[in-house]
Order: sequence, then C-alpha cells, then structure tokens
Amino acid sequence: MTPPAASPTRAVLAAIEAGTPTLADIARHTGLDRGVVAMAVNRLVQTGLLDAETMTAGCPPDGCGSCASGVADRPGCGAATLSASRGGPVLVSLSVRRR
Amino acid sequence: MTDTCHSSGAVTTTLPSGGVVALVGNSNVGKTTLFNALSGARQQIGNWPGTTVEVARADWRPAGAPRALTLLDLPGTASLSPVSPDEQLTRDLVLDSAPGQRPDVVVAVLDASNLARCLYLLAELREAPQRIVVVLTMTDVASARGMDIDPDALARATGASVVVVLDPRRRDSVSGVGAAVAAALENPLPAPRPRPFAVDADPLAVDDDRFAWIQAALDSSTHQHPSGSTWSDRIDRVATAPVLGPLLFLALMWAVFVVTTTVAAPLQDALDSLVAGPVSAAAAALLGAVGLSGTAVEGFVVDGLVAGVGMLLTFVPLMALMFLLLSLLESSGYMARAAVVTDRAMRAIGLPGRAFLPLIVGFGCNVPAISATRVLPDARQRLLTALLVPFTACSARLTVFVLVGATFFGSNAGHVVFGMYVLSILLVVGVGFLLRATLWRTMGTDPLVIDLPAYHLPLPRQVAFVTWGRVRAFLRTAGGIIVATVAVVWALSNVPAPGAAGSLGDVPVEDSVFAATAEAVAPVFAPAGFGDWHATSALMVGFVAKEAVISSWAQTYSAQEPADPGDPGDLGDAVRADFVASSGGHPTAAVLAFLVFLLAYTPCVATLAALRREVGTRWMLASIAISGTTAWLLAVAVFQVGRLLG
Repeated sequence: MTPPAASPTRAVLAAIEAGTPTLADIARHTGLDRGVVAMAVNRLVQTGLLDAETMTAGCPPDGCGSCASGVADRPGCGAATLSASRGGPVLVSLSVRRR
Repeated sequence: MTDTCHSSGAVTTTLPSGGVVALVGNSNVGKTTLFNALSGARQQIGNWPGTTVEVARADWRPAGAPRALTLLDLPGTASLSPVSPDEQLTRDLVLDSAPGQRPDVVVAVLDASNLARCLYLLAELREAPQRIVVVLTMTDVASARGMDIDPDALARATGASVVVVLDPRRRDSVSGVGAAVAAALENPLPAPRPRPFAVDADPLAVDDDRFAWIQAALDSSTHQHPSGSTWSDRIDRVATAPVLGPLLFLALMWAVFVVTTTVAAPLQDALDSLVAGPVSAAAAALLGAVGLSGTAVEGFVVDGLVAGVGMLLTFVPLMALMFLLLSLLESSGYMARAAVVTDRAMRAIGLPGRAFLPLIVGFGCNVPAISATRVLPDARQRLLTALLVPFTACSARLTVFVLVGATFFGSNAGHVVFGMYVLSILLVVGVGFLLRATLWRTMGTDPLVIDLPAYHLPLPRQVAFVTWGRVRAFLRTAGGIIVATVAVVWALSNVPAPGAAGSLGDVPVEDSVFAATAEAVAPVFAPAGFGDWHATSALMVGFVAKEAVISSWAQTYSAQEPADPGDPGDLGDAVRADFVASSGGHPTAAVLAFLVFLLAYTPCVATLAALRREVGTRWMLASIAISGTTAWLLAVAVFQVGRLLG
C-alpha cells in the first residue's frame, strides 16, 4: 500500500490523468481511503476540474432510435439520456476537463 | 444564543430564543431518526422563514442541561458548498451567520460505514468556531464491512466529542447524545481548525487541506480488516486485472456463444422442420384452394415470405437465449468491468480512452454508436472512432453469425461465433492502431475513470423483461426490413436479365436481373472462395441490412428448388454444395472467409446515413472504402490460408 498522498486532491487528479481506470485503483495507487477518493472526485466534479458522464452502454429494454433492434425516438443506448425503463447498474465515466 | 435576526440573501436565519441545537449530516445517515428519538412527539414541521425548505423543530431538554433547548433537524447535505436551497439554508445557519447567531451546539451525524464522505462535512464545520458533537451511526454496518472505529481516537483527531449511537430509533440508545450536548454547552466556543489557506484560495488547495485532514483522522481512528473487503472488490481483483480481466471477459463471451448455439440448437431444428414442411405445405395448399397455385403470388408467399421470414423465425430461440445471457451479464454489473478491460486495451495502443463508450454501444447497434461519438471532445477523435464503429459486431451481425454457424458448423457453431466476436475486437484495435499511426499521429488522449457499480444478483423479472424487449424489437424491425427486401428480391428475381430466356414473372431465378447483377459482382469474391452469385447476392442485400441476409439467401435457394412444397429440400446442403463448387473443394475455409467479410464490410445503410450525418459524405465514402478493403483482404487471407492448411 502506498503511503497517503500529502496533497490528496492533486494525487487523485494526477492518477486520473495517468490513466488509472477505477476508483479502487486510484485508492490503491494514492494510498488514500476509497471514500476519500470518491469524495475527492465529487469535489473535482463540483469545482469543474472533472467531467462526469453517465454512460449508456448496452441496449435498453425497448431498443433505441434508428437501430435495427430498436424503436425510434426513445432514449436508449448511445442516446443523450438513459431510458426511463432501463434497470441495472449504471456506469459513470469521469474525465479531466481541458484547461 | 442571542435572539436576533440575521439575513443572508433571501434567507432569514432567525433562530429561536434560548439554546439551539442543530442536527446536520448527509442524507440517509439516521439524522431524522435521531431527531425523532430525541424529541419524541413534541415536534413541529414547517418551512423555514423566507424559504420553501422544510425544517423540523422541537423542544428538548437533555439530562444535565441547565435549560430547555430548541432542537432543529436541518436538511441533509453532503457538504457546505450548496447546490440546492436545502443545502444553502444549512450553510447559512451553521457557517455564514455571525458567530453569535449560530446554533449553540451543532450535532454532526456521521454514517460510520461511509465515514470518509461524512468527514468532509465535519472538516467544513470545524473551520468555524462552534461547539460540535459527533454522533456516529451505523457502526454495526461498518463492523460488518471489516472497519473498526475508535471513538476516542476520532475525538482527538477531529477536536469534537464523539458519541456512538447503536440504534437511533431507541431513546435509551441516544441518551449519550444529551449528555454530550449538555457538556458541550458548559464549554467555551472552541478554536476553529487552523487553515493554511485564505478564504478566497484556490478551491483545489482548500480541498487538499480538508482531505489531508480527513485522511489523517481516518488513519488514526479506524482499522480496516483485510477480510472486510466487499465481494465486488474481491471479484474485481480478477475481473479488472490487466491480464486475468481480458481472459475472464473472453471466457465469458465464449460461454455465452457456446451455450447459445448448443442449448437452443434442437429447438431451432424443430422449428426449421415445421416451417420448411407443414407451414410451407399449408401455405401452398391454401393458395391452391383459392386458385393461385403456380402463380406469381404463390412464388412470393411460399418462396419469399414463408422461406425468408420463416427462416428467421426458426432462429428466435437462439436469439432469445443469447439476449438472455447478455442481459444476465449486464444486470449483474459485469459488463461495466468489461468496459474497464476494453478501455485499458484502447489506451495501450494510444487510442482515446473515451472512444470505448461508443464502441461498446456499437456491439449493440452501430447506428446509435455513431451518434455516441459526440461524447468525444476532439473532432479528430470523433472521426477516428466513427470509422472504427462499423467493425464492432452489432447484434444483427451476431445473429447472422449464429445462423450461418449453426448451418455449417453444427456443434462447433459457438466457437465460430466467438471467433467472429474476438476478430471484431481485434479489427477495432488493429484498424484503430493503423489509422492512429498514419493519419492521426498527433492526436492526444483524454484520461478516463470509470466509477464501477457493485455486483448484484440479476432480478429475474428485469432480465426477462429486457430479453423479451430485445427479441420483440429485433423481430419487429427486422420483420419490416425482411418483408421489404423479400419483396424487392422477389421482384428482381422475376424480371428476366437482358438477353435471357423467359418473360416477366416466368423466368428461372438464375436468369433473372437479381442473379445477373450478383453474377457480375461475384468474380470479385473468387479469391476469397465464395465467387458464387448466391453468396454475392446475400452480401449485396446485407449491405442494406444484415437482418435480411439469411432471408434473401433462403429465398433464392427456395425459388430454385422444385415446386413441391412437401419436399422443400435442405437449404444447408444446397448452400454447402455451392460453397464446395466456388471454393474448389474447400468449403469450410470459404464459409469462414464469407463470415469474416460479413463482419468487416459496411454494416447497413442506416449506419452510412449516421456516418454521413456525423462526419460528412467524404468520410462516409472513406468508411465504405476502409471497411470494404479490410473485409476483402481479410476474407482472401482467411480463404487462402485455410485452403493451404486444409
């Protein structure tokens, strides 16, 4: 386990910029508590340094617009918003905003 | 507490006269339950003056307190950086008010099982001079997760007295809160936590200081047992590992395709016999009964609709099982891990991390995946990803692979479909790498973090709903496409080619415009072992939509066979015989080459329309050229290597 970083928020940001793919990995690499990492990410999103985006991977129950497997004009995979009838886990992707 | 009125913006922070104790904390930490236990039935609920924020208040006299107090249950908030009116009110009352106008004691209710997150609020509270009592709830949940908390150490680290409340619903369990509040009231206002930054400092520096303080408090007061990690953490050590993660992903996808093709195969065979035998015979008999036997209408219905649509329907059990298994993986939370695995592979070859979002969508359907490239901030990244999306094996192509695999490879069909799936991933990575190394050498990559959901057991009702929705949607859309293409193919099959014998509606299919067009293109595919007009015509129809490949194939063979509906022949044998002929005796290599071509060339016209919309006509044409060239080269390579080996 890495000793906790002296500058936690910057360490989290640096880990994200280095391509560490999950919050658990960031906690391991920075030596910070997983909860601290999660809260630090929340704060980075609030302060505008990170973008958070809900991913719409996978197909919704009713398919999606223009898809051979779907129905037009419904939010769904690849759409801007989640399908209202979608269930199950939702991915949130975070990326560093260009400054 | 002084009975004065203080205004901050539109909010009136008038506190009741006498002592005031405010309960603050994140949402769902047991704050209101604690309030109810402390106040009993003597509470009043109403909007705070000047706001629409509802605040509960009650008279409360804890044991040992010199006077009755007013207890306030302030709205839940994760921090004192407000994003809602509720949070703004909490901030106004406990932080922005003048020191003499704040609550006499702030009771910070912290969820022990989520301590780090809750400590952020405490860090902010400690930056002002005020009496704070920390109430720790849900310590049992924290223990179950392997975390021990030392309340005394936490008190030393935070500078606030700490009370553990095992069950905030029971009054005897919360008695320690009253004693701690009474004791705090006897003390002078404590000094605030020293802050090394100015009020208007960089927010990053402010947060850095708070998180360092939180981490230090956690390090000195908590102990995490190694066995306390969650099931999700333990599974993720394998599922997202750099080497084991991709292997697990491939093993699971292999299992999905093998189970799909082996379990559902008997059902498919039974349905095939039903459609090819009794259903075709019944349709022919019905048309004969109304005097349409031997007419063009019989050809359209029996050779077109029944053969084409019926063929697709026989594969419904396979599709349903494949969708069911994929839904199980998605609902369990595993597919989110597959995203991590994919992201890592993309990053390894220098592709933008965010590009995997639309690419994963592409494995469902390419059309929305092209639209999903808008998530990429850089125009060149959008273009590169849009050119890669057509190589992702969408569900329509997977269905064709399952159909062709089941027809030609029997019990090995699952392995073949899995091979196509893996090849699809390799194509995305390989073509992406080539384009990146040639056309987009200077393109940067955006870092990306994925917040993974915990694993959970899929709900049967939800999985059934998703599976049924996908099968129904596929059949509904594919049905429309197939009926339309069946009609077009049937019409073209009944028009004699220039110079051919026969007349309109009375021409052998091999002498029709449809066959002649395919025949003209077929030599292009001779090096790939399937330079036959039947296979070529299926690819031409597949350019419009992959769903129609099998139906049109079945249609052309059905039209070629004797018109005895009771003996419709064996489509598999007929197709295999043509592959044997076109490949010079290497049908397996030719069929594999055919599948590879199906995988890599343009998915459908709907995808082209989406490409044109997103990247323009020039790049849409470039996509057709890149996909077509890649498909042809790979198909030729597969056939030629297969021919040499076989």
